[in-house]
Amino acid sequence: MRFRMRYADKLVGLFVVAAALFLAGGIIFLGANQRWFSKDIRFETRFQSAAGAGAGTAIMMRGFQVGKVTKVKLNDRNEVDAELVIYDTYYPKVKEYSILELVTSPIGLGTQLLFHPGKGEALAQVGSFLPLADSEQGKDLIDQGLVEIPVKDDTITRLLAGVNPLIENANKTIVTINRTLTEINRALAGQSTGPLGSIVNDASDAVSHADAMVADVSAQATALVTKANALVDSVNAITKNLEATTAAIRDPTGLVPRLLDAKGSIKTILDDKNALYDGINGSIAELQKTLKNVQDISASLNGQMPSIAMTIDEGRAAIKQAEDVLTGLKNNPLLKGGIPARVEQQPQSMSMREGQFR
Amino acid sequence: MLSKIGRAAIDGFDEFLYAMGFFARVLRESFLLLRRGQVGRRVLVNQILFTGIDALAIAAAMALAIGAAINLIGSSLLAEFGQGKLMYTILIIVITRELGPLLTAFVVIARSGTAIATELGGMAVGHEIEAYVAVGVNPISYIAAPRFLGVVISMTVLDVYFNVFGLIGSFVVVQLVHPIAFNEYFRNLFAVLTPGDLLSGVGKSLVFGVIISVVSLYRGFAVERSVTEVPVAGIKAVGSGFMLCILADVVMTSVQYLG
Repeated sequence: MRFRMRYADKLVGLFVVAAALFLAGGIIFLGANQRWFSKDIRFETRFQSAAGAGAGTAIMMRGFQVGKVTKVKLNDRNEVDAELVIYDTYYPKVKEYSILELVTSPIGLGTQLLFHPGKGEALAQVGSFLPLADSEQGKDLIDQGLVEIPVKDDTITRLLAGVNPLIENANKTIVTINRTLTEINRALAGQSTGPLGSIVNDASDAVSHADAMVADVSAQATALVTKANALVDSVNAITKNLEATTAAIRDPTGLVPRLLDAKGSIKTILDDKNALYDGINGSIAELQKTLKNVQDISASLNGQMPSIAMTIDEGRAAIKQAEDVLTGLKNNPLLKGGIPARVEQQPQSMSMREGQFR
Repeated sequence: MLSKIGRAAIDGFDEFLYAMGFFARVLRESFLLLRRGQVGRRVLVNQILFTGIDALAIAAAMALAIGAAINLIGSSLLAEFGQGKLMYTILIIVITRELGPLLTAFVVIARSGTAIATELGGMAVGHEIEAYVAVGVNPISYIAAPRFLGVVISMTVLDVYFNVFGLIGSFVVVQLVHPIAFNEYFRNLFAVLTPGDLLSGVGKSLVFGVIISVVSLYRGFAVERSVTEVPVAGIKAVGSGFMLCILADVVMTSVQYLG
């Protein structure tokens, strides 16, 4: 306590002076940090709206503040003229073709004014105009690749950057559709002189001629129907004939018996006064006689050669079967064409080789 | 009833006029004290020692705690929303503009406001003030003016220290829990801090100092003859001081943000 009271003046002096030094130091540091003593480089730009780009708005480049907007003013053309400063330490980055971009956060986190340096060699002149990225001049510079634009920092902005061209394309498409619909409307109203109008007019003419075409088609169709009816009649007649033929085939007293009758169609085949039949019959009779003789021989040899007898029996059975076959052949309607004439083979001595060397 | 309200209003208005007259006299004597360098300077030094230096520890502790809390919340919670830099804005608003001056004022009211009111009340009960008058010493000049200046100076200086500890000291505390680069911290902090913030804090401290000292002096001098009036004077000094400081803070903040 005695120390406090003895050195009260010094303690109070230290207390006040230290506070004053802190305050003065803070103000100086504040001034240095806020560039009170720096010479900043002035430029100009133009916004469509001052919303989000008022005086004091920071100008950012890759996360660093490189300047700020100092003044905004509404001009006679209802645009917003703005003055801005780029900090002298960042002035070397302000090359020709540099632009600014006003980016608005999609989730309501405010706006950001971004600086994109140009790719020119020379520095932008003090007081010169820096166009915005969405202005015509800015778009031209970007399209020509004269501006160094980094990849967007956040996903939403990147998505928006991708969505914007889509929206623009969609907008263009809608405008085009609108124009097309307008053109169609005008064409349908008969007010268009363009290709669509010509098409619609042609279509109108075609529709007006449609009645004549329909009448023509109707007449031709009638003629075709008449012809078709005649064809149908013919087909009906053929069908009836087929039915009659089928019925005749089915009838046991009809066509087949007549074909198989001795006086029928087979007759025409076999109408040789039974010469063929008699010949065959005669041959069989002769064969039967021969076999009978052989049987007789076999009978005589029966005791000695039972196997020959058995063979002869089999031969007889075969002959009987052959007789049955011949009887079947005689009765077979497929032999309508008769027995074909034999083709005589030329003698071998009349070959081509001999002819050539004749 | 109506007459009671009317009488209370007239008494209140009279008291207000008296208080304004008292304030004007204190103000005039304070200028004279600074110019003449009279014996009251010793009282001024003691008042600063008591109000400023002795309250420095508690003010610093409060500043450190609040600053560290904001730092921790800002560097963790706000960073999750991608608004980490908003921490510096909140730090400046709380420490420099709003809470710093008000908390310092509360500390000074609690410590010095009550002390001044009870001390002057005791002097009044003990007829010391009458004795000063009897020997030709102006009690406003010798008793009130040094205390007024001492409280105002202490308040302002304490607010500066509150800022120092709140902004710098909290950074040191946070390094133990959540390290932040020194350069990054102060570059971001001073990028947000404006002269208006500093002026606002210092201006509020000055006003609060004036309010606390005048209210305490007024309540102390208002004690007449009973010892029981002394603690009442202390309580009234605290109550009036809180109310008037908060009211002044609301008015100044409104003017600052709406103006």
